[in-house]
Order: sequence, then structure tokens, then C-alpha cells
Amino acid sequence: MFVRTGLTGPFPRSEALVAATRDLDRGRTTPEAVEELFATAEREVLALEERLGLDTVTAGYLRWADLFRPIAETWEGFTVGPLTRWFETNTFYRQPILHAPPVRVPGAIAARLPPPLRAAPARARVLLPGPYSFAGLLDNRSGETESALVHRLGRLLGEEVRELRGLGFATFQFTEPLLVVRPPEGPRAEAVGAGYRAIHAAADGGTTIVWTFGADANPAFPVLDRLPVSVVGIDLADTELERIPEARGGPGLGLGVVDPRTTLGEDPAEVARIVRELRARRRPSVIWLGPGMPLDLLPYEPATRKVHVLAATRAALDAGGTG
Amino acid sequence: MSARPLYPAQEIGSLAKPRWQLLGQRGEPLDAPARTELAAADARLDFAGPLGPTRDALLDGRSREVGPDAVRDLAALFFLRYLETAGLDRVYDGEARRIEMYEYPIRQMRGFRFLGHVRSFDSKYYLKAAVTDEIRLEKPYHVDEFEFVRAHARAEPKLPITGPYTLADWSYNEHYLARQPGWKGRSARRAAQRDFVVDLARRAIRPTLAALIERGCRVIQLDEPAAGTHPDEADLVVEGFNAATDGLDAEFSMHICFSNYGDLLPALLEAKRCRQWAWEFANRDSPEHDGYAVLRTLREYGDTREIGLGVLDVHRDAVETPLQVADRIRRATHHLGDPARIWVNPDCGLRTRSLEVARAKLGAMVEGARIARAELESPRR
Repeated sequence: MFVRTGLTGPFPRSEALVAATRDLDRGRTTPEAVEELFATAEREVLALEERLGLDTVTAGYLRWADLFRPIAETWEGFTVGPLTRWFETNTFYRQPILHAPPVRVPGAIAARLPPPLRAAPARARVLLPGPYSFAGLLDNRSGETESALVHRLGRLLGEEVRELRGLGFATFQFTEPLLVVRPPEGPRAEAVGAGYRAIHAAADGGTTIVWTFGADANPAFPVLDRLPVSVVGIDLADTELERIPEARGGPGLGLGVVDPRTTLGEDPAEVARIVRELRARRRPSVIWLGPGMPLDLLPYEPATRKVHVLAATRAALDAGGTG
Repeated sequence: MSARPLYPAQEIGSLAKPRWQLLGQRGEPLDAPARTELAAADARLDFAGPLGPTRDALLDGRSREVGPDAVRDLAALFFLRYLETAGLDRVYDGEARRIEMYEYPIRQMRGFRFLGHVRSFDSKYYLKAAVTDEIRLEKPYHVDEFEFVRAHARAEPKLPITGPYTLADWSYNEHYLARQPGWKGRSARRAAQRDFVVDLARRAIRPTLAALIERGCRVIQLDEPAAGTHPDEADLVVEGFNAATDGLDAEFSMHICFSNYGDLLPALLEAKRCRQWAWEFANRDSPEHDGYAVLRTLREYGDTREIGLGVLDVHRDAVETPLQVADRIRRATHHLGDPARIWVNPDCGLRTRSLEVARAKLGAMVEGARIARAELESPRR
């Protein structure tokens, strides 16, 4: 059994970058100066990920305004709508408005990936919205049903994966909070399965990860266990551990083991114990550890400490034998 | 103060700071637009009164000599007259001395540590603290600003203060979560949050409210914008409110905005000393959707408290017409079944709108209330 680690969402901007982007808004600095700071900050996050031995790297996705904006601002059919609360947090995204069936624009996402990932794609984790959450969180004025849209977005994201695979990327994470917040049933569940079949086929041997958070994952396991992807991640801070069902086969197990909703540090030994228990109960072929929710819910320094906890948990598992 | 009319009007939150205030309190000489703005405002409102020398010094380019506190006093006076001349029955100072609603209260307490900025959206951030120790109030806050308002207000003053649930929700919870045994899952987080909210209410908010009441503050709005973030914690919002107001005698209201109120009911109704719900409605009102229909739910629950009725959308520059406002009041009255329980106000603070737009909206609100009142008092036969 393998244990792998990686960040599951954007990293917070450093205080220097916070100040610079604010100054840019107020006309007190230049885009060139801020660009230089972004580049420096990306290198720092990448260095942290590499120094701590994470298996996939992100370089922080520091420039991304929110999960949907790279698509909503580039693919045809979308405009960018009002600020909308991002689940139970005090952070917001701009709700995409879909006016017509979406049309993917080749190259648009690749161009927006952090430059260090474009330069060295093999270990990069590409972050994309999952088709179910994307369809459910946008303002759908396209006339398509939600199920049809989930399926269509799955196919389009599959095309995206195929293109990125051709550029050397191999790990693709689809952020899917709605899968546990509002587990799909009936035609929606079928559309989710069809969408991910398209995505996983396009990955052509690459790793496809579905990452969930925002609610107890237990009611969603009948759907999650059947997803045709490499790994399905759940947030242990939201999920009742005792109720997680036994399983054999199915996708690999992703575990959100550090919680960015608190600055309190997790105990790596305790986390390792929980991971071992779940390994025995679920018998996955692979376990991926990461933050349950994106670390950008924290300021920079506490987020950095959480990455250390993640690495220490991996070390505790290695020391105790991971099977 | 005269007897209140039907559909009285009240302020609800902060207003945009005028340029002359921002420059003046930084000690920078006013530029031409700021001088024009200040001179025009004083000509229109005649607000400077006893602070005429401060106004004159600012207009003369002597900001540094004036000092930031005097500039804030002048701004508070400006906002009082701005709101009073708009026709409001309850006013405050536009929160002229406050720049936000989280950091300042937290800095009046011990037990917190500021950790850095978190991105709210785009390039907007907020500073966030963790509670790391027992909470202790350094000294009651907002007292000086209230005393200034009380001394100068011609209409009834109403003080807004951030509620305990919101202060807790916008902080990281280390101290109380660490006391929870075992894995810090959802149930541990909830228990820790409950302890945090109640401690904040008892140790910081209640003593502050008591001090304000002792100074003569009679109308107090507890702002709980975070209440809608976690609908399943509505009972914690209530517990915090009840602990903060325990044994205190004042007209308390609870302001919640941009939330799905139906999700918070009936839990919210357990707020014992809450006399008024001040909620946002106009934001969700459209020709296709009656934004005021949720009031029927209150009626169904038999809740008889006052409503601070949001009739102005604070996110749009488009100024509501008085007839539009009157229509909103009319529908709310129909849903609630009792006009005497309705106050009108903007959905939330108008600080994201220019002072010109805000003033036009407030004027439309007051005129709309007058129209609705006239209709009720002279019903068609």
C-alpha cells in the first residue's frame, strides 16, 4: 500500500503579497512589481512542498481568484457573476453565469497554471472544478438540465485533461464539495459517473483525484465508492469517523487530515493512528493525505505549519509501517 | 423628540467616509475636491457647530494641527446631521470612528493573537486572530463614541456593535478547541465554538453593553452577519445573544444580512431580549420573487417582535423610487399583518455606495414610508 501526500487547494498569499496586491488595487505599485512578487512566492511554496517531500506540488495557485474563474473567464458561454459565499466560510467566489452550452477554449487553462508547474509538469497537481460542483454552483441560464450539464462539463473537462496530459501533466484533482454536501441521486448520479468516465479515460494512465469537503461524507459513500477515478478524498474534520463504512476495491482513499478551519495543530501521531484504522477498514490500494479544505482559509504562517503536520504524519506512518 | 410615526426610519450600519475625513485624519492637507466636499456639506447641513474651528483648520490646510481625533469628531457630527436631515428617526454617527467591525473589538480584549491576513475574495483580505487564552476585556469599548453621539444627536441614537457569534466565527478557535478531547471533528468543533461564543458574550460583550447602558444607551443593535454562515449553529447565535444581554435593560435588536432566514428559524426565536429583527430583504426582492415573503414564516411562528425592514439594496447604485419602497412596505405589512411593528432601514450599511447615492436612497426610503403611511391612514373606500 502506498501513502502519498499533496496539497488539495490554493495556498495563502504571503503577507508581502497581500500588501502588494492591495497596493496594486490602490495604484501604489506596478503590475510588474507584483508579478515579480508572485513569481517569488510561487517558488517559495514550491520549495516548501519539495523540502517536505510532498508527492505532488502546486506552487500555491496564488494567482487564481477562485476555483471557477480560470474557466468562467475563458471558456465560451460564461460570464462572471456576483460574489457568493464559499460554503460555510467567510470567503467568496464569483458565481459563474452560464448563458449557453459551454465551449472549451483550448490552451486557456494551461496558460493560467502556475508557471513553475508548466515548466515541470510531471509532479504537478492540476486543480480543476469537478463537474457536479461546477454545474451545481453556477447560475445555469443555458437551458440545459443540471444532469445534462454535469455530463457535458465532464466531457469538456476530459478534453482539458487530454490536452494537459499531452503537455506532461499526470495528476488531476477535481474539487467536488457538492458530492458530499448534496449527494447526487438518480439521473444526476448517473451523469456524475458518466462525466468522470470521460475524465478518467482522458487521463490515459494519469491519476484522477476527486476531493470532497463541506459535510459528512458518510451519506455519499454509495456514490463516492462507484466513481471511476483513481482516488476519492474526504475531509476527516467533517466526517464521522466511526461511521465510515468498510470497503474493498473501489477508488483509492484520500484523507483530509489537517483542518484549515483551525490554527490548532493536529497531532501527527494521532492522525497516523486514524489513518491506520481507516486503512484497515477500507483496504485501499493507495492513500493520499492532504488538507481537508484548501489551506488558503489560513494566513500564510499557520498554513505553513499545517504542511509540516502533513509531512510529519507521513513520517509517522512510515515509521510505524504503512503496510 | 416627537412621537414616532408609523413606519419610522432608522440607520442600520456604516457609511462611506468622506474624502476630507480620510485626508484629515491622516494629517494630510485637504486637496481641492476634499475642500469642496467639506465646504459644500457644511453649507448644506450646517453641521460643524461647536467644531467650526476644526472645519476651518481643515479648509485652511492645517490638518496636522487639528489631529485625527478632532477630525473624527467632525465626521461624526457630519453623519449625525446627514442622517437626521434625511429624515431618519433613529441615527448613529455613520460609524465614522470605525474602519471595520472585527479587529477593533478584538483588540480591546486579551486572549487573542492576530495571525495574518486571509483572502476574502480577489485582492480583498481581512486580518484574522486566534483565541489562544482566556478572554479578558481590557475596557468597555464604543463608550466614548456613544457619549459623543448622545451629546450631539437630535434624533434618537441607536448603537451598533458586533455580536459574539460573529466575533467567534471570524476568529480561529485554539483555546477552546484544545480543551476538547480526541479528534477535533465536527462535534468537537461545535462544542468548542459554543464555549467560545458564550465566553465572548459574558466576558467582553455584556460588560461593554452594561457600560453603554449605564451611559444612557437605550437602543442597541447586535450585528451578527456571520449568523447565516452556519445555519446549524443558529442556536449558538441565540445563546451568545442571550448571554450578552443577560440581565440588561435596553431595546436590543439583531441585524443579520445576506442569509437564508428560513434556515435560521425557529432557532433564532429563542433570543429572549431581542425586540427587533433587522434583516435584509431588498437584495432578494424582484418582480419575479417577493423578497418579503419570509415574513410570513415569522407570522406562522407567532413571533410578534418588530422588524427592521431592509427596503434599500445596498449593492446597487440604482436609487429606489419612493413608490418602490412603499410597495415593499405594503407587501411586508401584508405578510406580517401588523404595520405598527415595522421600522424601515437599508438592507445593511451603505458604505459601499457614495454619500450622494446613499443620501438619495435614504431620501427615497423616508418618502416611501410616508407614502405607505398615508395610504394606511387614509384608506380608499
